[in-house]
Amino acid sequence: MGDTTMGTDFEGWGARAGRLAARWGRTAWAGLLLASAAVAQGEVADRWGPNEPASTFGSRFDSLFWLITTLVSVSFLIVLVMLFLAVVRFRARPGSKAHYDRGNSLHDKRFTAVVSVTVFVVLDAWVLVIAMRDLREAHWKYPAADEPGVYEVEVLAQQWAWNFRTKGVDGEFGTADDIVTINELHIPEGRPIKFNLTSKDVIHSFFVPDMRVKRDLNPGAINMLWFQAAKTGTFDLFCAELCGYAHYMMGGEVYVLESDRFDAWEQEASRLAEIAYDAEDTEAHWAWDWKD
Amino acid sequence: MSKAPLLGVGTALLAVGLVSYANVGQEGHEAEAGHGEHAPASDESPHAHAPHAISLDVPEDTWLLAPGEEWFEQQAELHPGRFTHDDSLFDGEGGWVDSQGVYELRYDEDEDYYSYWQHVSAAQLTRGRRDFVQFCSSCHGFQGDGYGRSGQYLRPAPRSFKQSNFKFTKTTADLPSDAALMRLIQRGLQGTPMYPWDLSEEQLTDIIQYIKSLSPEESGWRDQFAEIGGIVESSPDPWSGRRDEAITKGEEIYHGKANCYLCHPGYVTVERMREIRGDADNVQYRDMLSYPALKESDYDVLGKRQMIMPPDFTWHQVRSGTTVQDLFETIASGIKGTAMPQWKNALKDEEIWALAYYVKSLIEGYKNEPGNRAAFMAGLRGE
Repeated sequence: MGDTTMGTDFEGWGARAGRLAARWGRTAWAGLLLASAAVAQGEVADRWGPNEPASTFGSRFDSLFWLITTLVSVSFLIVLVMLFLAVVRFRARPGSKAHYDRGNSLHDKRFTAVVSVTVFVVLDAWVLVIAMRDLREAHWKYPAADEPGVYEVEVLAQQWAWNFRTKGVDGEFGTADDIVTINELHIPEGRPIKFNLTSKDVIHSFFVPDMRVKRDLNPGAINMLWFQAAKTGTFDLFCAELCGYAHYMMGGEVYVLESDRFDAWEQEASRLAEIAYDAEDTEAHWAWDWKD
Repeated sequence: MSKAPLLGVGTALLAVGLVSYANVGQEGHEAEAGHGEHAPASDESPHAHAPHAISLDVPEDTWLLAPGEEWFEQQAELHPGRFTHDDSLFDGEGGWVDSQGVYELRYDEDEDYYSYWQHVSAAQLTRGRRDFVQFCSSCHGFQGDGYGRSGQYLRPAPRSFKQSNFKFTKTTADLPSDAALMRLIQRGLQGTPMYPWDLSEEQLTDIIQYIKSLSPEESGWRDQFAEIGGIVESSPDPWSGRRDEAITKGEEIYHGKANCYLCHPGYVTVERMREIRGDADNVQYRDMLSYPALKESDYDVLGKRQMIMPPDFTWHQVRSGTTVQDLFETIASGIKGTAMPQWKNALKDEEIWALAYYVKSLIEGYKNEPGNRAAFMAGLRGE
């Protein structure tokens, strides 16, 4: 007590922790209560992860996502625990003097090298191998041109909308019965869907999170993408590349219909397209030669 | 190893970069000033100049635009005493000045015709042009000619503001009032990239004045004979609480008196058509009765007359609102420049309301329920 005027005695670990706990305790409790209320509500908790994948290869993407999340979380925890132990073990206390360590002794260098190489080989290489395998076996494994049942879609993006063109019942692009839609795409379930993507003006990005696909659309180039829907439903489509003022409004819907309903839809849409077709309005005939 | 040579090279590069940057700025500025002499309504091709050379400044001091007789008289009535014949302010019949601008009544002796004018400042048009270029020009074009980079190939095509031809303005006059245009921009046109634009009223007012100034001379808002009006007035809904009755009545008018089925699909069997119309048993109707029929419009894109597909309400998205009120307004005012006439005085209001209820029932029952539509259509077509 007597030497307080000379500056405080070093505060013990326990005392400091107690003071911090008192200061932050109330906030922490409020946070915990809120979090448990959210979990109890259920609906909030359901939205913490992404939606169930709706494409055949979507679960690969999810496995990779969770693998990376787990590896990163575990590494982070290990680092935190080591940091915590170091802080406790080497804390300042009477009689122990601090010293400066450059950390460049042979021992330190060896330790750093071993940890780096291990982390790289075990974590990064692991993720890389799996990612490359998924790309090779799924995302980049485009259905062959002559594979039966492939459904082809031409996507022409613009500021700030999606133009879709499909072949219609005659099975050819650039004919009167091409089905042209804006911001809505109808596709069949259980058939590979192949896309040719390009843009009129700036770079856009075709992103259907439920299908776990995203691909840029570049003016002057045709990019490709494919997926196969594993379930029916309506899925959101977004532009994932900042493309100007109304980028935030540039969205659409992907309707996945079961096979029979899709065939009926396609037939009707084709017939209506034929009625609306104006052979002289050549500017509106923007189909291109399909690129495989 | 000395770092001096590296530093020297770096400095030199930086200097070259700065100088060329300054030069580019200079050129850009000159080009802009040089081009500024052109009025925005000039007939030049939008592709004649690189985009950086297009001036954002509207050069002339003031522009005379027609605000519409109806609006003018409303304002004069709302603020009595504002109208003045002060010769020092006005050459002609008179007008008034307020914070929004100068409004003037003119008299054309040759034509024995009074015309109503609004003086719009170049400053306001410049603001409008800047916003137009940012928000609208990608589709409607830098010159407002409806041929922007992102609007090409698009059908229905983006409007050209040089043709003074507007489809969904919901007015019975030739041209829409500012309020009608503002509502259109705020609501957008569903099923097209004309989205509901969330801009401030000030921005929209500036943009609207700018759009009006794009009318070629002696036409659109720069024509003294222009007839300008607000959104068509709707009487109170006479069918309120009697929805089913309205739908039945609407079906009869649709296939009978109003002949909607000539362009839009017929939604009843041939037998029911004959019954509604009181026709003999051997009367036939158009081919593919349950499909729409393509119609010509008064609108050109690159010199090509545009065809318009009348919507099948069980399939296509209607453009300007699906509430009964919206549908009433659309049917009553008609769709300008297309085969859809104005029904306001051709049918009683009560009948237009019934049609609106009927169309609404088609949208709700079949467009929004595609599963029901297939069965419904198969029934009509005997498939």
